[in-house]
Amino acid sequence: MDTILKALALVTEPYTLGVMLLAAMFGLFVGSMPGLTATMATALLIPFTFFMDPVPAIAVIVTAVATAIFAGDIPGALLRIPGTPASAAYCDESYAMTQKGLAERALGIGLVTSVIGGLTGAVVLSLSAPALAEFAIQFSSFEYFWLACLGLSCAVIISTGSTLKGFVSLLIGLFIATIGIDGTAGHPRFTFGSIELMGGVSFIPAMIGMFAISEVLRYVASTRKALPVPQQPVGSVFSGLGPILRKYKMNIVQGSGLGAIIGILPGAGADIAAWISYALAKKRSKEPEKFGTGHPEGLVAAGAANNASVAGAWVPAIVFGIPGDSITAIVIGVLYMKGMNPGPMVFVQSPELIYAVFIAFFIANLALLPLGFAAIKMSRQILKVPQRILMPIILMFCMVGAFAINNTVFGITVMLVLGIMAYVMEENGFPVAPAILGIVLGAMIEDNFMNSMIKADGSLSGFFSRPIAATLGVLTILLWTMPLFLTLRRWMRPGTE
Amino acid sequence: MFNRRKFGFTAALAAAGLFAAATVTPAMAEYPERPITLIVPWGAGGGTDATGRMIASLLEGELGKPVNVVNRTGGSGVVGHSAIANAKPDGYTIGVATVEIGMMHWAGLTRLTGEDYTPIALYNFDPAGLIVRADSEWESAGDVIAAVKANPGKHKASGTGQGGIWHLALAGMLDDAGVAPDAAPWVPSKGAAPALQELAAGGVDIVTPSVVEGAALIEAGKAKALAVMAGDRLGAFDDVPTLKEATGSDWTMAAWRGIAGPKGMPDEAVEKLTEAMETVWNSDDFQDFMKGRGFGLVWKPGDEFATWMKDSDASLGTVMKAVGLAK
Amino acid sequence: MRLNDAVFGVILILFAIAEIAWTTTFPSLYGQEYGPNLFPIIIGAGLALCGVILLVRGLAQRGTVPMVEWGDWAGDKATVLNVVLLIGSMIFYILVSEWLGFIITAFAILTLLLVRLGTGLLTSVVIAIIVTLLIHTLFARVLLVPLPWGILQPVAW
Repeated sequence: MDTILKALALVTEPYTLGVMLLAAMFGLFVGSMPGLTATMATALLIPFTFFMDPVPAIAVIVTAVATAIFAGDIPGALLRIPGTPASAAYCDESYAMTQKGLAERALGIGLVTSVIGGLTGAVVLSLSAPALAEFAIQFSSFEYFWLACLGLSCAVIISTGSTLKGFVSLLIGLFIATIGIDGTAGHPRFTFGSIELMGGVSFIPAMIGMFAISEVLRYVASTRKALPVPQQPVGSVFSGLGPILRKYKMNIVQGSGLGAIIGILPGAGADIAAWISYALAKKRSKEPEKFGTGHPEGLVAAGAANNASVAGAWVPAIVFGIPGDSITAIVIGVLYMKGMNPGPMVFVQSPELIYAVFIAFFIANLALLPLGFAAIKMSRQILKVPQRILMPIILMFCMVGAFAINNTVFGITVMLVLGIMAYVMEENGFPVAPAILGIVLGAMIEDNFMNSMIKADGSLSGFFSRPIAATLGVLTILLWTMPLFLTLRRWMRPGTE
Repeated sequence: MFNRRKFGFTAALAAAGLFAAATVTPAMAEYPERPITLIVPWGAGGGTDATGRMIASLLEGELGKPVNVVNRTGGSGVVGHSAIANAKPDGYTIGVATVEIGMMHWAGLTRLTGEDYTPIALYNFDPAGLIVRADSEWESAGDVIAAVKANPGKHKASGTGQGGIWHLALAGMLDDAGVAPDAAPWVPSKGAAPALQELAAGGVDIVTPSVVEGAALIEAGKAKALAVMAGDRLGAFDDVPTLKEATGSDWTMAAWRGIAGPKGMPDEAVEKLTEAMETVWNSDDFQDFMKGRGFGLVWKPGDEFATWMKDSDASLGTVMKAVGLAK
Repeated sequence: MRLNDAVFGVILILFAIAEIAWTTTFPSLYGQEYGPNLFPIIIGAGLALCGVILLVRGLAQRGTVPMVEWGDWAGDKATVLNVVLLIGSMIFYILVSEWLGFIITAFAILTLLLVRLGTGLLTSVVIAIIVTLLIHTLFARVLLVPLPWGILQPVAW
């Protein structure tokens, strides 16, 4: 208890709270810029943390990350440009709500569920960090392979329209993921001799192209100029949210829990958490046909999941020095620089630091409520700008965003090519979401499969010989064969139709 | 709807602006007169990125102009190293060159070698370690080599990508001990952290990254370091024997990092940068940072760095050919 | 632009054949049955299979669905020009931004597209200037993205 009070005192110092407030505004800003991710926000903050004490330094990073993940929802909902990869899973859903005139509702849901998810993540983290870290460290390539397969199953669930076309879209995404130097043999694949392509197709420009550029193309290629959708005044961002959140409270619980668990695993992060919980919400929904048309159910689950996962990645990072994502990799660097080497000894040597991280997550998420509210109020003004003016400006932001990820115009080339491809696909009834999921999971599936085969000397039994792997494997296979089995059973019993 | 005259006017306006801008002659001033870009060929969060960002912020203080870090990742370092070599050699684009520059061309990924750069200074050097799980029955490097020799193919190893620097460290160590270099099959990973995760999860039995990368896991009682592949013990880990002490083998392998620019940089810029780097390297901030994180320190400016790259290149080539990783 | 499923089927089959053919040049992983060609072959096979189904399905509805339907925009010259200009501006940026610099390139593209989409010239120029400087300040100054100065280098601020 003493340590917690000590940590609380450290975090609530006026200086710390002050820099946290600045970091929150910075995080909101960076997260809402296309092409600039939460990782980028953290990297940009590093020079400032040089001059801070450990607790404010960590609190600043925690705050910026927590707010950036929510801020990614804003351009996603308003303009169909996901600000960070974590918002890609439900970008189309919230954009559909905006087109129904419900932009504030969509963003309000995103904000409140983000806060709930973030708080849940912080609680889970503070209650069970060492035990969870022991669990997370049991994951090897076998377990990650099955996890990626589960993620891939989401493609079938989330795809709208023809299943066959959704499958084609997924395969295209997986193919795009194979471009570049392969992870196993180090051989360049499908690069046409281009050095830029050796590095593979970056996810951010691909995502900007497939969502935003295809949308701009659709606007200029349409002869019937759509008028801006009049936005329904819902009074305040929060009004009317109560019934929605009560109705889908199980989705919030599911999303927060799933997000917290996925976040703890090094190598699976906020984006995968959002995809899986969105798909799970659709799978369990009583009205799955409404998904993709501006329906809040999936939004509630995925909005909570990505924020819940953010805190989780800190567990293995602090306990074992194994970073779950590039943000925590940077954090480990900061900890070292402050003379606090990650490891279980941190719990003994400076426990107040660990609790300070949890408390910082708490405060950051609470601060997100008013700050996010202000951000929504300000950014919704964008929708009042006529589209003929808005579209060229969006194009410019997209180009700079695609450039920023690697600081090369090659990103813009990727964005352009995939944007045109996505436009043609959508015009012909091929959903783009499975392709994006394919790009996200392609390398994870392949690398973990190949590594597992090397480890098991080419025998497939390795995928079932470890307890967690076997559980995940059986789960995956059940999920894949269940529809087949049910269909067969229907055929076996004629006359029941 | 489309107004031809308006468009023509706009074009003329743009052209006029262009002309005005182009005719302004650049003022001759002392280097550097504008921000410098520092290309890091590896991702944000890794060791190269951390040292690169530290150097950038300290160089900024020395040169009085911003030094912006740009991560150009992918392709096992090919993308970023090519970006440094192909930049305009005006002194405003430099980068962190890493040991991979002497490996990529042997693997047939690029034609670039150390010769394509203007060497500025070598600042870091980290030898490979030999790390196993804490509950492993192996107590010394000799035990590991004997076990691999007795059961070729049984014990798996990891640490970085296929044909990466830590893969060479293991293959060379086995080769030197008279064991087939592939007797411990290599499981590729995206860097040291995922490999250490695999070690802890029981996915592989041996990892060979630098000892500092495994420090947290060792401290947590999940892993132990059996040897360091260097001539001398490391200051921060002086209870870990050198490979020579452990097995009598002369094999050493280390990753290194240095600042370099594209070939053909103006002398003034090279001088100024070398001078600034020397001040940075000797500063307390830099020394504390490197020691705090356990990075090895070494200082070799200009020609010494060039010779270092050449030697490193040649010895890497010999090993890669010996273990069948060269094309 | 809408194409009959059969057209996509043929495209996918051709693509899959080319892709699988390319994988034969990949080296195999030493001591392993599988190499870097395994996943591309699985993906290619999947695409080819989907291609065949699409081809069959498309041919079956040949009577009702035309092979190529250009859509309403193709007949309208103004709209075709819109699409060409949009894609052209991106290619323009890719080709010349390094040399011309961000500010001039972005200003030119913004002005052109704004005017083209029906905003008055003066308004367009003003908006283009504001947006260009805003993006430049946000990304280059605040977020340290190295947007190129190009020929404006001598007057860089």
